[in-house]
Amino acid sequence: MTTLADLKISEVKLAAEEGGKWGMVIDQDICTGCQACVAACAMENNIPFVGEEDSGYGRAMHWIRIERFWQGEYPEVKMTNQQPMMCQQCGSAPCEPVCPAFATVHSQAEELNLQVYNRCVGTRYCANNCPYQVRTFNWRDYERPEPLPNQFNPDVTVRRRGVMEKCTFCIQRIHQANHKAKAEGRELMDGEFTTACAQACPSNAITFGRVDKKDTQVYQMMHHGQSHGKKHLEELGTLPNITYLNGGGA
Amino acid sequence: MLKKIFNWLMQPIGLIAVGIVFLSVFSAAVYGISLTQQTPPQPIEFPHQTHVQFGIQCLYCHPGAAKGPAAGIPSQAKCWACHNQIEKTGTSELLAPLKNAVLSGESIQWVPVAIVPDFVQFNHRAHVAAGKNCEDCHGDMSKVNIAINPQVMNMGWCLNCHIETAGEDEEKLIKLTDCGTCHY
Repeated sequence: MTTLADLKISEVKLAAEEGGKWGMVIDQDICTGCQACVAACAMENNIPFVGEEDSGYGRAMHWIRIERFWQGEYPEVKMTNQQPMMCQQCGSAPCEPVCPAFATVHSQAEELNLQVYNRCVGTRYCANNCPYQVRTFNWRDYERPEPLPNQFNPDVTVRRRGVMEKCTFCIQRIHQANHKAKAEGRELMDGEFTTACAQACPSNAITFGRVDKKDTQVYQMMHHGQSHGKKHLEELGTLPNITYLNGGGA
Repeated sequence: MLKKIFNWLMQPIGLIAVGIVFLSVFSAAVYGISLTQQTPPQPIEFPHQTHVQFGIQCLYCHPGAAKGPAAGIPSQAKCWACHNQIEKTGTSELLAPLKNAVLSGESIQWVPVAIVPDFVQFNHRAHVAAGKNCEDCHGDMSKVNIAINPQVMNMGWCLNCHIETAGEDEEKLIKLTDCGTCHY
């Protein structure tokens, strides 16, 4: 006999099988934790430098961070694999229903979690409800001394104080690639463009692409044989779109 | 005290004074609003209508509109390609700033008229590809000198056209009314 709880889980599984549109595979076995993705993300997305003091208050604003954990009891501690963590672009995101201003909405067209900066009033409810703790808040208008403003990415909004922000899966690159493909009158090809973090990764630990087509690289990596692929906190029913490959080695 | 002021205001001269104060505040407000609706002063009183009447296409001077996000404002080199001949006649005073700019090598500081805020990501190419003509948004340039906005460019105006364009096509409507299409 199926109970209500079973039914809900099966519904969630059904939705998970449908998957999103864009996805990412992160191979933790080859990630060296060099932080190149963190730097590339900050440059691509006009992320401010909060400085030492605010960083000490936990107000650092990276959209992607490298997490690392210790395993075992004290003398025999072992470091786990490096774990790049950013917005998982959940299919059923906990941040979305709590926003009173509808500033974080689910894009039906791109199937991503959007953050609409001009709607955000800064309640920070979404960040508190995010199980991955990947949303960052502009506590101040952080100073960018000359000549740093010269390297602003014109395709990305420069956020101001009091606005929440997070990884967008480089939606500006998605749009740019779409525009280019349309101008040339063809379909968007797999691997034609990638996110800033994936582009910067020296060990190619990050792969980005479509997950709703079977012939894409990301889909193949996600479903390759006895894959160690794992989605974080999947048990919460968030339907994350990032798959972590982890063989378990240090 | 208040009673005294009220009594003074209720006599004819007081009423006239109230009227004058009200009128002056009202006209100052109207003047202030009208200032925000004026086109910004440009370094050259560029006559769009003359150029359009000569049959020059919009895309000749603003070629970016067909290819990318920004239509672009032509460099003085492009102006000078034609105007170095016309300037020799010495009949137009308007050309003096252009000649100065070309000779000194300093670029002309044009003031953009049709602009959107930083949090709006606008791309001309998509709109031209969708069959929009320049005058649909920028007005008829054969009737104005300095470019003016024929309407307030706000989100309601954008969305109206997006919804109209999508029509019955469900998929198109989703794409064209998605927040992430313009805001990221």
